[in-house]
Amino acid sequence: MISTVLIANRGEIALRIIRANRELGIKSIAIYSDEDTRSAHVKNADEAYYVGPAAASESYLNIKKIIETATTSGADAIHPGYGFLSENDSFANACEKKSIVFIGPSGKAMTMTGDKMKCKALMKKANVPVIPGSEGVIDDVDVAEGVARDIGYPVLLKSAFGGGGRGIRLAKDENQLRQEFEMAAAESKAAFGKASLYVEKSLQGIRHIEFQIVRDSSGNTRHLFERECSIQRRHQKLIEMAPSPVVSSEIRRRMGEIAITAAEAVNYLNAGTVEFLRDKDGNFYFIEINSRLQVEHPVTEVVTGLDLVKLQIAIAQGQAIIFDQGNLKLHGSAIECRINAEDPFNDFAPSIGTIGRCNLPHGPGIRVDSYLYSGCSVSGYYDSLVAKIIVWGQNHQEARARMKNALREFEAEGINTTVPLHETIMNNADFIRGDLSTDYLDRLKILDIMEKEHIERVKQNSSVAIAAVLLQSKMDGRKDDYSQNTNKKLNTRRWKSIGRGINGI
Amino acid sequence: MEFKIAETKQEVNGEIVNTLGDGSIVLKINQKDYRVQLVKSSTDEVEFLLENSFHYSKKIRAISSETSIVLDGLPVTIRKHFKFADLIQSTSASAVSTENNNLTSQIPGRVVNILVNLGSSVKLGDSIVILESMKMQVAVKSHKEGTIRDILVKKGTTVSRYDAIAIIE
Repeated sequence: MISTVLIANRGEIALRIIRANRELGIKSIAIYSDEDTRSAHVKNADEAYYVGPAAASESYLNIKKIIETATTSGADAIHPGYGFLSENDSFANACEKKSIVFIGPSGKAMTMTGDKMKCKALMKKANVPVIPGSEGVIDDVDVAEGVARDIGYPVLLKSAFGGGGRGIRLAKDENQLRQEFEMAAAESKAAFGKASLYVEKSLQGIRHIEFQIVRDSSGNTRHLFERECSIQRRHQKLIEMAPSPVVSSEIRRRMGEIAITAAEAVNYLNAGTVEFLRDKDGNFYFIEINSRLQVEHPVTEVVTGLDLVKLQIAIAQGQAIIFDQGNLKLHGSAIECRINAEDPFNDFAPSIGTIGRCNLPHGPGIRVDSYLYSGCSVSGYYDSLVAKIIVWGQNHQEARARMKNALREFEAEGINTTVPLHETIMNNADFIRGDLSTDYLDRLKILDIMEKEHIERVKQNSSVAIAAVLLQSKMDGRKDDYSQNTNKKLNTRRWKSIGRGINGI
Repeated sequence: MEFKIAETKQEVNGEIVNTLGDGSIVLKINQKDYRVQLVKSSTDEVEFLLENSFHYSKKIRAISSETSIVLDGLPVTIRKHFKFADLIQSTSASAVSTENNNLTSQIPGRVVNILVNLGSSVKLGDSIVILESMKMQVAVKSHKEGTIRDILVKKGTTVSRYDAIAIIE
C-alpha cells in the first residue's frame, strides 16, 4: 500500500493530486523551485522540499534531485502529473531502480508510445485504423510520389525528426510534391544528414477526438468514453468537451473498443489517452497514445463520476479495476475552458504578475481547478495555464449557460487572461451547433469577432468608464496624472537621453 | 472635460457637477446628469453605484493624458483633454518625439537574443529582440522606421511590461 506520494509537478495539477492523496489518507510531498515558495501546492502539501532555482531544467525536470528528495522524504511513490517528467522513460526507469512506485505506465510502454512511427506500425498490425501514409521514412522523391498516388492528394510531407507541428509541408499535386520534397529533403539533410521524410494523407475538416483508457496490472482494460478537443490554437487545446457532438452511442462503443485494443497492443498500464482524428466523412484515424494523465481529465471525471487520480493510485498499488465496461455511463454534458495568463487582444502575449482581487466562480455544476489565490504570483518560468473551468450540465445547452456564468464571474486581477476568447466562443453559433474542426479559430475568424464584441462592450459602458475616471481624478485631487503615475523608469531614461548618450540601462 | 475612448474612438464630455455630503456625487456625462453613489475608493481603485448598478474600476496605468483602467473586468483606455494633447503632440519637438523613439516591450520576459546592432537601419515591424516568457519566445518588433540609436538591454536581462528596449530615431 502506498503511504506517501511525492508530486513531481506544480500548479493546479499538484493541488489536484494532493486532494486525491488526502482522500485516501496518503501523505503528500510537494517539491518547489525559487518561484514557487508561496504557491498553493506548497502550502497545501503535508511536507514541501526545495529542489532548485526557477529554471525548470534545474528544478521540476531535475531527475536526480527529485529522486533524492523522494528518498529523503520517505516517499514510496511519485506522481508526475502532466508535462515535465510525466512521459520521460528515463525518469520512470529511475524510479523503478530505486523501488519507488511510478504512478503511470512503465518506462517500456512510454518508449513504445513515444516512438510515433513504431507505434503506428504496431497499431496497423492490431487492425487499429491509422492515417494512410508511407510505411517508413523515404529518401527518394519517386517513392514519395508513388505513396502519394496510392493514398490520394492532398498529402503532407513530414520530417521524421520534426515535432510539435513544425517541418510539415502540404502538397496538393505531383508538381508541388516534387518541389516541396526537394526543399524538405535539403533541410533535413543539412540538419540531420539524411532526408528522412515521410508522407501522410492530409485530412480535411478534422476533429480531434480522444478516448480515456485505464488498464490495471491484471490486464483489465476499460475505456471511459471520448473527449472532443478540436478547438485549438497552434496545436494547444483551448476547450475540451464530452460527449462529442458527432459521436453516437454506436460510434462510442466501436471506437471505445478500438481504443482498448490500442492500449493492449502496447501493454499499457494505468491511465492514458488514445487520440484519434476524425475526417469530414466520419472516418477515425489513430494518431497517438498519450501515456500520462491529461490536463483535460476533469471532463471525463464529471461525466462519469469517477476520480481518475484515485484510480491511478489504486492501479499503481496493484489493485484491480472494480467496474465493468457495461456499467459505465456517460451522463450529461461537460465543457472545460483552459484559462491562460495571456492577452488575447495582443497576440496572446504572456502575462505575469501578482494576483490582486481573485474570484474563482462557484455555483451548480461549476468546478474550477486552479492554483490562483489573492496574493499569489504567476511566474514567467512555467506554462501559462492558470485555471481550468469545468462545467457540467444535463445537456450541452445547460453546460454552455453555466460556462457563461462562470466566465463572467471569474476574476484574476493583475494578469491578462484568455477569458474574453472563451466568452466569444460560448456565444458562437458554430460552437452551439457543434460544428467544430481543428481550424475552428481561423476558419470562423473568432479573434476578429472577439475584438468586435470587446469594442461593443466598451461602447455600452462608455458613460460608466468616464464616470470611473472622473471619480478617480477626484480621489487624486488636483494633481495631474502625468506627474503621479508615469512610468518613472521611462521618464528618467528619456531625460538622460536628451542630454547625453548612454550605454546600457 | 473632453475625453476620448481609445478602443471605440468615442468622444465624451464629462465633469463633476456637485458633491453631496453623503458620498453621492452628481456627474454630467454627454449632457446627461447621473447621480453616483461612491462606495469605496483608494489611490488606484474605486467602487461605485451608477444607475443602480455596481461597478468596480482599477487604474492600471496613467501616462501623460492617457489612463488605462479595468472596469468590471473590461479593459478601457481613456484620453483626457485629447484635443489639447493631440495638438501638443503634433507641434512639440523633442519631449514627445523622444517618447516616440523608445521601443517598449508589450510583455515581461527575459532577453534571449538581440537581433540588431547600434546604428542598424530598421523598418516598421522588424524584430529587434527576442524575449522568452512562459515557455514562449516572442519578438519585440520595431514601432517605426529608423536607426538604432541605443540598445538598453543585453542577453539575460529581465524586462517588465512597458520597459524600454531600444531607442530608434
